Amino acid sequence: MSSSPTTGTDADATRRPPAGPTQTRRGNRGITFTGKLLAPGVALLALLSILPFFALIAMSFSHVRLLGGVRLEWAGLNNWTRVLTDPDMWASWLRTAIFLVLTLGLEMVLGLGIALALQRIFRGRGLLLSLVLLPMFVAPVIVGLLGRYMTDSTFGLYAWVLQRLGFQGDILGSPTTAFAAVVLMDVWEWTPLITLITLAGLTSVNPSVLEAAALDGAGYWKSLRHVVLPSMSSILLVALLIRAMDAVRYYDIIFVTTNGGPADATKIIPIRLFENAFRFFDLGYAAAIGLMMLVVTILIAKAFVSVLGSKELTR
Amino acid sequence: MSPEASGHRGAASLSRRGVLRAGMAGAGALAVPGLLSACGGGGAQPVPQLSPGQDPWRRFEGTTINFISENTAPTAAIAANLKPFTDLTGINLQIVNLELSALVQRVALDMASGDARYQVIYADPYQVLAPYSAGLVDLREFIEDDTYPPLEGGLQDFIPTQLTAAGKFEQKDPVYTLPYDCPTMIWQYRADLFDKYGQRMAHELGFDPTPGLDRSWDEYLAIAKWFNDNVNEVPYGTGHQAKQHDSLMCDFSNVLWAYGGDYFEAGDKVGLLGVTDPGKCVLGSEQGIAAAAFYDELLKVAHPASRTWDWDGVGAALRAGQIAMCPNWHEFAASNEQALPGLISYAPLPHGPARAAHMYGGTGIGIAANSSGAARGAAWLFVNWATAPKTQLSNLASKAGGGTPTRTSVYEMPEVVAAEKRPSAMPNMLTADAVTVAWEENNIGLRPKIPMWNACDTSIFTGLSKMIAGQQTPEETMTSVAGRFDRIVGRGWQA
Repeated sequence: MSSSPTTGTDADATRRPPAGPTQTRRGNRGITFTGKLLAPGVALLALLSILPFFALIAMSFSHVRLLGGVRLEWAGLNNWTRVLTDPDMWASWLRTAIFLVLTLGLEMVLGLGIALALQRIFRGRGLLLSLVLLPMFVAPVIVGLLGRYMTDSTFGLYAWVLQRLGFQGDILGSPTTAFAAVVLMDVWEWTPLITLITLAGLTSVNPSVLEAAALDGAGYWKSLRHVVLPSMSSILLVALLIRAMDAVRYYDIIFVTTNGGPADATKIIPIRLFENAFRFFDLGYAAAIGLMMLVVTILIAKAFVSVLGSKELTR
Repeated sequence: MSPEASGHRGAASLSRRGVLRAGMAGAGALAVPGLLSACGGGGAQPVPQLSPGQDPWRRFEGTTINFISENTAPTAAIAANLKPFTDLTGINLQIVNLELSALVQRVALDMASGDARYQVIYADPYQVLAPYSAGLVDLREFIEDDTYPPLEGGLQDFIPTQLTAAGKFEQKDPVYTLPYDCPTMIWQYRADLFDKYGQRMAHELGFDPTPGLDRSWDEYLAIAKWFNDNVNEVPYGTGHQAKQHDSLMCDFSNVLWAYGGDYFEAGDKVGLLGVTDPGKCVLGSEQGIAAAAFYDELLKVAHPASRTWDWDGVGAALRAGQIAMCPNWHEFAASNEQALPGLISYAPLPHGPARAAHMYGGTGIGIAANSSGAARGAAWLFVNWATAPKTQLSNLASKAGGGTPTRTSVYEMPEVVAAEKRPSAMPNMLTADAVTVAWEENNIGLRPKIPMWNACDTSIFTGLSKMIAGQQTPEETMTSVAGRFDRIVGRGWQA
C-alpha cells in the first residue's frame, strides 16, 4: 500500500485519456472542484497572511517612514547587516534558546509526570484534572501580573517564603532569579497542556501489550520506558512542537514582569522585536528580526515534522 | 463525481502553479506600495469660519474630539470633571488614558495613518515631540487668530523653561505644545523619622542630616546607610526607581548632572530646545564615570527591590514604610498625603561636585497636524481650556488627581500659596518650595531632546541595569553606552 492514500484527483487522472505530445503531466493538473471550493478561503488567507508577509519582506529592505502616510525608502541590506552583526541580537537568541530548552524540558517532564499520576487515580480524577488544567485558561498577561505580585519582595507570598528560607534580595531584581521566575511562570501556565495531551496519549496505549509486558515480568518503570513512552512518542512530539513554536513567540509574561530586565537577562527575541518596532519605530530593522523569527520557527517545526515523519515510516 | 464536474478543463484551464505564481506576484505588487500606502489619510477639510456674533467658545458646538493622554494626574482630574468644558463649548471630548509607552505607539501609528483619530495629543517632549514635531500643529496658528478665544495670560504666563522644554523643538518660534504638567524629581522623605532621629544622626554622622540643597550625594548615601543600620521603623534608608526602564535613566541623571557629567557636549541646548544632531556623546567622561560609580554604590545600600521599581514602585514603597527616603516625581505628593498624612516632606535633591540637578519630566499637549475641519479648531479650544489658569487651579484641588500647574499666575493665587502649608487642600502644593528651587536654571535637569531618544534611553538604562547587577564596572558601562549613543545618533533620524 502506498504511504499516502489515493486522492480523488489521482483516481480521475487514471480514467483520463493519455496526454498528447505537447501536454505535460504538470499541465494537466488544473484547479479541481475541491480547489475551487477552497479558493475563497485561500484568497482570504492570502489577504491576511501573504500580503503582510510580502510587506514584511519589503520593509526589511527599507527604512520605514511614518509621517504623512507610511512609505518605504530603499535601504538595501542595511537592516539585515545590522541584525546579523549585532552582538546584542545574538545574545537575545542565545537567551531564547536557553528559555526554549528550559521551558520545554520542564513542561515535558512535569506534564508527563502529572499525567501518569492522574492516570493511576480513579476517585476524584475529574476534579483533580480540572484543577490541574486551570492555569492554562488564564490569559498570559494575568499570569505575568500574578507572578509579579507573588514575587514582590514587600508583599509577595513566594518572596516571603524564600526570605524565610534565607534568600536575601529580590526575585525579579537579579538576572538569574528573574530569568528563572519567568521560565517558571511559563511552566506553570503551560504544563497543563502537556498533561492533557499526554493523558490523551496514554489512553491510546494498547492494554494487551501492557498485559503481555507484565506477564513477561516487566515492572512499572520498565513498561513505562519500553512500552508506554514509545507508544505515545508521536503524541509527545506534537505537544513539543506546539509548545516550541509558542515559546519562540513568548512575550506577554516577560512584558508584564520584567520587560526584558534586569541587565537584559530576560530580553528574549520577541521583546527585542517589540522594542525595535514600537519603542524605537525602527520598523525596517524590526521586520528583519520578525523574518528571522519566522525562519527559526519554520526550522523548528520542520525538524519536529521530519522526526515525526521518520517515526511514522519506521512503523 | 465525473471529471467534468470536477472542473477539469485540460491545458486551457489555469494550472494550480500558475494561480499560485500569479497570486504571489499580485500579492507582492499589492503589498509593498498598495498595502502600506493605503495607510495614508484622506483630504483635509478647512476649519469652519466664525459666524458674525457667534460666541467663539461655541463655534464648534456638537463636534467630537479625542484626547490621547498618559494616565497622569491632570488628565485624571480633567476626566473626572469634564462638565465645565462641555458646558462652555458644547464639544464632546473623549479621553483615552494610556501608559506612556502605549501612548507613544498609538500616536506614531495615528500619525502614520494620516487620519488623526486623536486630535489632541499628550506630547512627551522626548518620545513624541522630538521625533514627531512635524506631525504636530504650530499652535501660533490659533494663538494669533482673533477669531479664537484669547490664550489667557498669553504664552508668557507659562514658566519659561517649561514652555521651551515641553513646547518647542529645534526652533525658537514654533510652539508645538502648551505645558500641561511638570513633574520634577525631588527628595521625598519621612519627616517623622528625620525628626525622631535627626539629632542622633547629626551626632553620629558629623553633619546636619536635614534634607535640602545643602546636603551632598555623599551625605545622602551616609544617611541611607545610617537608616539601614539604626532604624527599625523602615527596613531600608533609601529606595530607587532602578528597574530596567525609563525610570532608571531619570534616577541616574540627577546624579550624572550633579557630578558634572552630561549626555552630549552641548548638553544645555540639547536638553532645552532640542536638536536632531546632538554631536558626540560624553557619557564616557571622567565625570560620567564618577557619577556611575557613585550610583552603583548608592544602589548597593538601597532597598534590594529598587531594581524592580519604577516611579510607581518606589512611590508605593515610601508610602508602605519600606524606605525612609527617595528621589521621586513631585506629583506623588497627593497620594503620599493620602496614605501617610503629614509624615512625608519634600526638599530639593542633594548637590554633587558640580551642582544640584532635578530631572524635569513635564509634558505639553498639542494638536495632530492631520486633524482638520471643526475637529482641528475644537482641539485648540480644548488645549486652550485645559491649560488655562482656572482649569489648573481646579485640577490642583481635584480629589481624582491633583495636577501640577505650569503657569506662574496659578502659583501666585492666594489659595494656592495658602495650600503650600499643612493642612492643605491641594497636597501637591506641599512641594512648592522644593520645586521652585528645582526649576531654577542652575538646578533643572533636562535630558536630551533628540528624535532618537527612545533608543538612547534604552541603551543607558540597559547599561546601568547591567552595572547595578554587577555585570559591568561603571567605566565599562559608560564607555559602552557612549559608543552606542554615537552609533544610534550616527544613523540619523527621519520620521
